[in-house]
Amino acid sequence: MRLTVKITIAVLLGIALIFSAYSYFSIQREREQLKKNLSREARHIGESLRYIVTELWQQRGEEVAINFLKKANQEYEQTLVRWVWIEGEAPQEFQPRVPVEQLDDLFNEETVALLAGSPDGGDYLLTYLPLLIDDNRIGAIELSESMDEMHDYVQESLRRSAIVIGVSICSALLFMGALGSIWIDRPMRKLRAQAERIGTGDFTPSVNLPGRGEIAELSSTIERMRGQLVDAREAEQIANQEKFETLEKLRHSERLATLGQLSAGMAHELGTPLNVIAGRAKLIRGAGMDPDDISRSATIIGEQADRMTGIMRQLLSFARRGKSQKQDVDLNTVLRGLQPLLGPTAREKGIVLLINEIEQPLPAHVDPAQIQQVLLNLTLNGIQAMPNGGEIALSGMRPTVTQAPEKFNDERIRWICLKVTDQGIGIEIENLRQIFDPFFTTKDIGQGTGLGLSIAHGIIEEHGGWIEVESRLGEGSCFSVYLPEAAAGELA
Amino acid sequence: MEAVCLDVHPHILLAEDDPELLELLIFVLLRAGYQVTGCDNGLQLLEELERVESYDLVISDLRMPALTGLEVLESQFDNSQCPPFICMTAFGDEKTHATAQKLGAVATIDKPFDLDDMIELIQTTLSGKNTHHYLRGVDHD
Repeated sequence: MRLTVKITIAVLLGIALIFSAYSYFSIQREREQLKKNLSREARHIGESLRYIVTELWQQRGEEVAINFLKKANQEYEQTLVRWVWIEGEAPQEFQPRVPVEQLDDLFNEETVALLAGSPDGGDYLLTYLPLLIDDNRIGAIELSESMDEMHDYVQESLRRSAIVIGVSICSALLFMGALGSIWIDRPMRKLRAQAERIGTGDFTPSVNLPGRGEIAELSSTIERMRGQLVDAREAEQIANQEKFETLEKLRHSERLATLGQLSAGMAHELGTPLNVIAGRAKLIRGAGMDPDDISRSATIIGEQADRMTGIMRQLLSFARRGKSQKQDVDLNTVLRGLQPLLGPTAREKGIVLLINEIEQPLPAHVDPAQIQQVLLNLTLNGIQAMPNGGEIALSGMRPTVTQAPEKFNDERIRWICLKVTDQGIGIEIENLRQIFDPFFTTKDIGQGTGLGLSIAHGIIEEHGGWIEVESRLGEGSCFSVYLPEAAAGELA
Repeated sequence: MEAVCLDVHPHILLAEDDPELLELLIFVLLRAGYQVTGCDNGLQLLEELERVESYDLVISDLRMPALTGLEVLESQFDNSQCPPFICMTAFGDEKTHATAQKLGAVATIDKPFDLDDMIELIQTTLSGKNTHHYLRGVDHD
């Protein structure tokens, strides 16, 4: 609307200026014309009077001529006729209304016409017709005509001009307001709404204004921009989706690799119950068992089968993870769940696995399967770093002082720390900086993907936390996983 | 006369940390006519070996609390009086077998194994044919 108003005001100012100038000049001209007419009229009357006065003066003398002029005033009501002396001393009643200096031309026997103000404020057109009397004294007939009529006329003209200007401004305002609304405001509003929609990411509706004007061009430009943005967003979405899927695949394959490592330990764990089952079955099949022993054997077979089912279930629940889903969990529960998965592998390698929960809950909003994956990864790395056995400890804690990295430095967040401490060979200092890099591995070819720690790092970063590592060669390493604590009430 | 007695009822020292398997093996060995002493960890096995010197055969699980079977075997490496040693391990790999053999085990059997095969192996071992046997569990059934 503001644009229309501005244009309207500019145009109206122009119109008003032109009108005013036109009115001014035409009034000026009319005024001149009027003055000329009046002047001519006065001169005609004056000429006639001068002729008569000259005759009277010559035949009957001064007094009669002047009296005639006085009488003439009664005939010409609008015009005052007087006799004035230009030369020599004259009584007040024969003095011209203007100073004699302005009437120099009378001495050349020329008629003088001029405008003069009277003491009462009115304007007069004064016409002096010189008359050379016998004794060479110059007098004149003074015709003075009030200009009030002309002033009235000019006033009227001005008034009319003002009305015309006012009316044209009003009608132009209405007209341009309506046209501006149709031609500018409405399309502009549409375009603005469209631009705002695009700004908020809503690319659905298409606005294409008809015509070939600037606004239509702007509209088609916006429309083109919308198309390009839609394309760009689609491309970005596809790229993101691909990236996400690749990352998911990568994580899944790392999970399978972990599963492979775990399954060796699990298989060992299955050997003993299988042996019991096979042996008991053989006892039952063989002759000479009393019914009580047979029944007992059958019970034991059942129990051992359950034990194996439990082991397989642990493994499968890890292998078949559902969709990534964050939820409020007590990290103590996650720690506890690692015992059945890691226990067999640790036992197989002659390593004591310690899981230290703490009494207070460790509430966090995490995807438990992913955190489990991270801890498994760190622990299996620890186990691999301990060829000669030892202890590996998984502990949950609430650190009292946390030196968070800069990007996590927020005093409102309380941190939970999960530590994996091994007594392994330790990590070389030059490798410490690279251990989280993808494809960095110190293991033999075929022993590791080099992705485990990189993926663990990615998972923890996604959860708004970080991993720290301390290591001493020959003494062991400690990986600390920091995760933000969820508000106490949120724990499900 | 004591020797005759031993021949009739050879005394087997059995170490296995899983109570169910220990019970089953004791039952089977007793029924097969052996004297059996059972232990459920490596340390007990070692103490038993040092306390009584008259065992005819040791059958031990490799993975046990306190001391592993291999550690016990290793400790008896220089003991010429040590009875023949049969090791048991779950799905054991070549490396474990080789280590056991190197440390002097007469045989290493993989769980799950067939009980009859085990009795046969014990008989073979006790009859003096101390050749190494590798029983691959129930496959031999």
